[in-house]
Amino acid sequence: MLQDKHLNKLRELPEPVRQLAGLVIITIIVILSFAILNIFFGHDKDLVAKMKKEEEKNSEKRKLSEMMSNLPSGILVTYDGTDNYKLSEELYEKVCNATKLIPQRTLLGANLINLKAHQIYTNNGNQIQETFVKWDSENKKCVAGYVLKGTIDGKEETITVSGDALSFLSTGIDTRVYFIKNF
Amino acid sequence: MELLKKYPKLIQWLFLLVVFFFLCFAIDVPETYKFIRVQAEFIKDPNQVSYTMFGTEVRYYPFDNFWRLPPLLGWLPIWVNDFIVFLLEEWMPVEYWNEDTQEFRTQPLILKITRNISAIMTFVIELIREIILGGVETVVTFTSWDWIDANPWAKLPGLPWTIVAAGTAILGYKLSGKGLGIFAGLTMIYVSIFGQWEPSMKTLSFILVATPLSFIFGLILGILAFKSKRVEKFLNPILMVMQTMPQYSVLVPALVLFGNGDHAAVIITMIVAIPPMILLTLLGLRSVPLEVIEAGKMSGCNNYQLMFKVLIPTARRDILIGVNQVIMVCFSMAVIAAYIGAQGLGHYLLVALNQLNIGAALEAGLCISLIAILLDKMSLAWANKQNDYFGNLTFFQRYKNTLFFAGSVIVGVTISYIGSFYLINGFNYLFEIPHNKGISTADFWNKGVDWIFDTFFYSLKIFNTWLIIEVLQPMRALYLRMPAVATLVLIIGAGYIVGGIRSALIVGGLSLFIALSPWWDRALVTTYMATFGVIVSCIIGLIVGTLCFQNKHTTSFMLALCDIFQTFPSFVYLIPVMMLFGITDTSVLIAVVVYATIPAVRYTIEGLKSVPAALHDVASMSGVTKIQRLLKIEFPLAFPHMMLGLNQTIVFALFMVIIGAFIGTEDLGQYILKALSDKKGAGIGLLLGVCVAFIGLIFDNLIRTWVNKRKKHLGID
Repeated sequence: MLQDKHLNKLRELPEPVRQLAGLVIITIIVILSFAILNIFFGHDKDLVAKMKKEEEKNSEKRKLSEMMSNLPSGILVTYDGTDNYKLSEELYEKVCNATKLIPQRTLLGANLINLKAHQIYTNNGNQIQETFVKWDSENKKCVAGYVLKGTIDGKEETITVSGDALSFLSTGIDTRVYFIKNF
Repeated sequence: MELLKKYPKLIQWLFLLVVFFFLCFAIDVPETYKFIRVQAEFIKDPNQVSYTMFGTEVRYYPFDNFWRLPPLLGWLPIWVNDFIVFLLEEWMPVEYWNEDTQEFRTQPLILKITRNISAIMTFVIELIREIILGGVETVVTFTSWDWIDANPWAKLPGLPWTIVAAGTAILGYKLSGKGLGIFAGLTMIYVSIFGQWEPSMKTLSFILVATPLSFIFGLILGILAFKSKRVEKFLNPILMVMQTMPQYSVLVPALVLFGNGDHAAVIITMIVAIPPMILLTLLGLRSVPLEVIEAGKMSGCNNYQLMFKVLIPTARRDILIGVNQVIMVCFSMAVIAAYIGAQGLGHYLLVALNQLNIGAALEAGLCISLIAILLDKMSLAWANKQNDYFGNLTFFQRYKNTLFFAGSVIVGVTISYIGSFYLINGFNYLFEIPHNKGISTADFWNKGVDWIFDTFFYSLKIFNTWLIIEVLQPMRALYLRMPAVATLVLIIGAGYIVGGIRSALIVGGLSLFIALSPWWDRALVTTYMATFGVIVSCIIGLIVGTLCFQNKHTTSFMLALCDIFQTFPSFVYLIPVMMLFGITDTSVLIAVVVYATIPAVRYTIEGLKSVPAALHDVASMSGVTKIQRLLKIEFPLAFPHMMLGLNQTIVFALFMVIIGAFIGTEDLGQYILKALSDKKGAGIGLLLGVCVAFIGLIFDNLIRTWVNKRKKHLGID
């Protein structure tokens, strides 16, 4: 009875009011549906943070690769006295941070004065465990090195060869450590 | 309250816009949102989340749902594709006897059916092609290659181009008199001497197969829909979607089902051409006066006689207009079907456009347009021609056209025979001018393009840059900035205001389908491009149409011009814009504007024409000026009709935007084009087409509902 009374009241409302009310209701229904959907398919905040982090990383990478592509191709050094391109202090740090590769000739060069490392390297069939290039902010130097693992005279040994990376090779696409000064 | 009662619709629209803009400003762009991310629906990335539906894994980048909905229908394209592949490769294997290997083999039923249909189609196309151009394939079908080697004389000779040209001219004369006869003859001569005979005849052979088949199927389905409400209800949504679906998108499933070649092109052309035939058959049969039907029944007709002796002959004109539409659709498909291996002019046009050889593209495009105009005029003349049942004609009068054609066959054969004795560089030009051996204007046009670039390079570049930076990019950014919830509120609200709850539900459902697909952002870009085209086209259409309407001669001139432009296959419009603006978004949008302006102009003129002449007199007697009459009487009354033009303009613009993918856009069309070369593209292509069709249908529903209401309100329904 009460329901009918209310319905009649609604029916008695003028047409424009009823239409506007309908529009308001539809709008609310649509927005509410989205809100409900957000409960089930809402985005994960951790994921967003992860994506943002990756985005930052990527933009950093892009900047570095842009910088590297602007460097002249050939040998880049940090000291005077050669015809090669001399890196400024600021650029030295940037190149150090951008460099990831240590080519085989550099490893061989460093091994020359580390007999043990040379032996493990040869025994392993030129296998190395890992390489690293990092910026030593205290000494303001670029440190590059690699880890070798193998057996010498029946004993399992792990050797880390590291030194100053004072020169780099720029290929136009990336940079590689050219020489590790480990003496 | 008084204000609400006085301006109910205005208040509703204001409310809707306020909510829309509030949502737009309240919902921020997520920091991780990038348009490019949305491209990667099916690639694997650790940042994506995934769900599995019907055994299909869908990966997507999650956003706040108010901003973008998750692609909950992302499984559908993959599922549709898998379903088609399952039907084709696994479902119901049947045994059949293989003549070549002399053993029983098994093949899935659908594959068997599609391959058989393909074989029949290929045979019919080849037969017609060889009747016109000559060849041995048809004879080989009934014999073997060994037999042909032993009997080298056994081949279809083909018709000399002179006979086909004369035959077409005579047919044109018979249908509509001297004018059409001369035009038909000149068109054929042009096609021949410009070295486009072979591709033109290949295109014609493809149309000669697709048109009758589309006509038959369309007529049968139209009759069935007329007879049964259930069939009509079933066909209605399919017809609506097919009419707004870009032809591109149907290519991919056809490619999967029927393979590559002319046969697949014919089948796909039929699928596109049948809907207008059904609609016009239905329209024709419905418009038969009740008195005629009653007279038929009273004469004792049974159902069959009533249909074929009374209804169809009475609806003849509408049905023949349907044939005209079928021919036009077939012709427009001739170019698009070249993507799936259809030979002929379309193929050459596509190759020329791919090589950016604008001159060669223009030659092929001109031939396509000329033949399209010719077929349009001929079929319309056929539709309008009345049979003279009571004429007391002499033998010559009755058969003069046949006699002239017989004469032209004798003359044509004789001169081509004579030509064979005087071969020019090994080619009998009186029999057929080979492709690329006729007169060519390609170099002239290419030099013209170079000249345009040299002379107007800076002006065009300035315009191009201005348009892209100042207009297109901000507009695109605005569209992409709309949160999904705001867009849906706007669409559903508009549907409610225009057509009530039913309309709101329809447009809401259609837009929700797109929002839940993986291509919402692409759909927004498509809509932005179409909107730009529509706005500019409507402005041009309104001004040009209104100005032309002021004079009788300019009105008929403009309508004739619209007729001609409407017959051009849409691809042809890309040629001049590429000449002027190169490979840019501007080219696509200018092509969209030009193409979409045609219905805008036409419907403005038609709308103004529909205003009763009596009202003009009344207005003049009331002492109104010309401008007052235009603004206060003619425009308000013509507006519903003009809005139908807007409807057509939107559909035309959407079609052209999708075709513009050929130049390089980043909308749904680009994805349809990609799907063509994707092994698993059938489902994607089809669903992308459905998305475009739904964009068209949203506008169609809103405009049609508004027009119907407005007409009722003005009492001109």
